[in-house]
Amino acid sequence: MLEIKDLHVYYGGIHALKGVSISVEKGEIVTIIGANGAGKSTLLNAISGIVKYREGSISFKGEPLPKLPHLVVKRGIVQVPEGRLIFANLTVKDNLMLGAYLRSDVNGIKRDLEMVYELFPRLKEREKQMAGTLSGGEQQMLAIGRGLMGNPELVLMDEPSLGLAPLMVQTIFKVIKDIKSMGKTILLVEQNAYKALATADRAYVLEQGRIVKSGRAQDLLDDPGIKESYLGVKVNNRG
Amino acid sequence: MIQILQQLINGLSIGSVYALMAVGYSLVYSIMNFSNFAHGGVIMLGAYFGFFFVTLYKMPFWVAFFGAGICSMLVAVLVERVAYKPLRARNAPFLYFMISAMGASMFMENFVIATIGPTFRTYPQVFPPQPFNLRGIYVGRLDMVMFVISCISLVALVYFIEFTKMGKAIQATAFNPKASALMGINTDFVTIVVFALGGFLAGIAGVLFGMKYTVYPQIGSITIKSFIAAVFGGLGSLPGAVIGSFILGILETLVSGYMMSQYRDLISFSLLILILVFKPMGLMGKSSEEKA
Ligand SMILES: Nc1ncnc2c1ncn2[C@@H]1O[C@H](COP(=O)(O)OP(=O)(O)OP(=O)(O)O)[C@@H](O)[C@H]1O
Ligand SMILES: [Mg+2]
Repeated sequence: MLEIKDLHVYYGGIHALKGVSISVEKGEIVTIIGANGAGKSTLLNAISGIVKYREGSISFKGEPLPKLPHLVVKRGIVQVPEGRLIFANLTVKDNLMLGAYLRSDVNGIKRDLEMVYELFPRLKEREKQMAGTLSGGEQQMLAIGRGLMGNPELVLMDEPSLGLAPLMVQTIFKVIKDIKSMGKTILLVEQNAYKALATADRAYVLEQGRIVKSGRAQDLLDDPGIKESYLGVKVNNRG
Repeated sequence: MIQILQQLINGLSIGSVYALMAVGYSLVYSIMNFSNFAHGGVIMLGAYFGFFFVTLYKMPFWVAFFGAGICSMLVAVLVERVAYKPLRARNAPFLYFMISAMGASMFMENFVIATIGPTFRTYPQVFPPQPFNLRGIYVGRLDMVMFVISCISLVALVYFIEFTKMGKAIQATAFNPKASALMGINTDFVTIVVFALGGFLAGIAGVLFGMKYTVYPQIGSITIKSFIAAVFGGLGSLPGAVIGSFILGILETLVSGYMMSQYRDLISFSLLILILVFKPMGLMGKSSEEKA
């Protein structure tokens, strides 16, 4: 469904992505794990059209993906950004409706709003509240809900568990599975590698702008190298 | 007592025109975080458009009035495309925008001097000169028209910003352009809409201002007072711009009514300096840096 080939991104002199190739199939949860500064957000922003790439190609459903953010959204790819980036000066409801900015199917929007409220009853209770007054966890719910309001086929999620208490992290990962069961495809970027691998179908490991490993998420969970660098598990002498 | 009320009404009238101009500064500031000093040039052109539509083309006043608004709107959008868009496209530093704005402003002023000439021009009498008598308080018809038109325009603007989808998109883009783009909002188009709104209001404000005083190429530098009002209210805030404008308008008429009218501008600019020193956020502003 999403096919990225040999992607290179530069920030001035910094070579942030050095030939990244990944693919995401319909209905999958694919995760990208990697340390701070590995280039995870850069990759999602390149897909979303927020940062420009110098070389490589991105295609979606067999066609080249446009390079302007609003056109990417129009094609059915929505990003739930790192740090949530909710509109603090607007109400919860306004935030959700902005997620549906490009849509005009009134009934579909209404249905999706109900779906989001069902997923996050807390948002319904706070519908008229200014989004800036929500707690961190609620803001993450809002960011995800707002993304879903665009009725995306592919959801890009950038560190949805960042800075949340353990219980809220559980909730968010459960929601990610719920979103998958709605038939949506998910590309998930995480530093919480254990949770991400336990939730995803497939995974890529990004290190300093390069994919260094990939495979079934379950296999990577058992991979000694991954255990040591990303899961914080000490691996004893093998063999 | 009567005299104070009289001054107050004059102040409200001129304050409402300042408000029309000030919201243009504030709208652009809220989206782009810089003060669009080419705005004064657009106001000046608006005054000229209206003047020539009425005198040369003999258009009915209201046609000339809206025509001037629409032409100014196009000029404002053109300025954005030519002077700012290329800078935005490559994330140019703030200072470049300021220089570009100064350039656009000087271009407009000198373009008018070169083509039309530096002379002062006076609008023909559109509204009868004899004032209304409201229980002993005299209100000029033009002042009345200025106040009513300005208020209607401001209410329409607030309605647009608060209750329409495009208005929400403007608010969202002002708050966070990246997040807005991720929602599918075409932030480039939002910027055009913001310049169009500011330009239209600048144009009609220019006509009103030109009718009240005279039309000349440097009229744009006088409209800097609406910028003071916007800073006073808090740049980037629409209610702030409106409230600041009314306060400034009333303050000015009181000063010229009770002291000497020469003190008027002195007071306005002192106010600007006092705000920048003691309350840089203004009455309801969103941030304090890089205003002037
Ligand atoms: N706007 C920018 N300008 C310059 N360099 C940048 C910019 N954004 C990111 N970088 C650099 O590019 C590299 C990759 O950054 P990126 O944000 O993609 O990492 P990340 O994997 O998302 O990290 P984190 O887990 O901390 O979010 C880093 O070295 C970062 O410093
Ligand atoms: Mg990141």
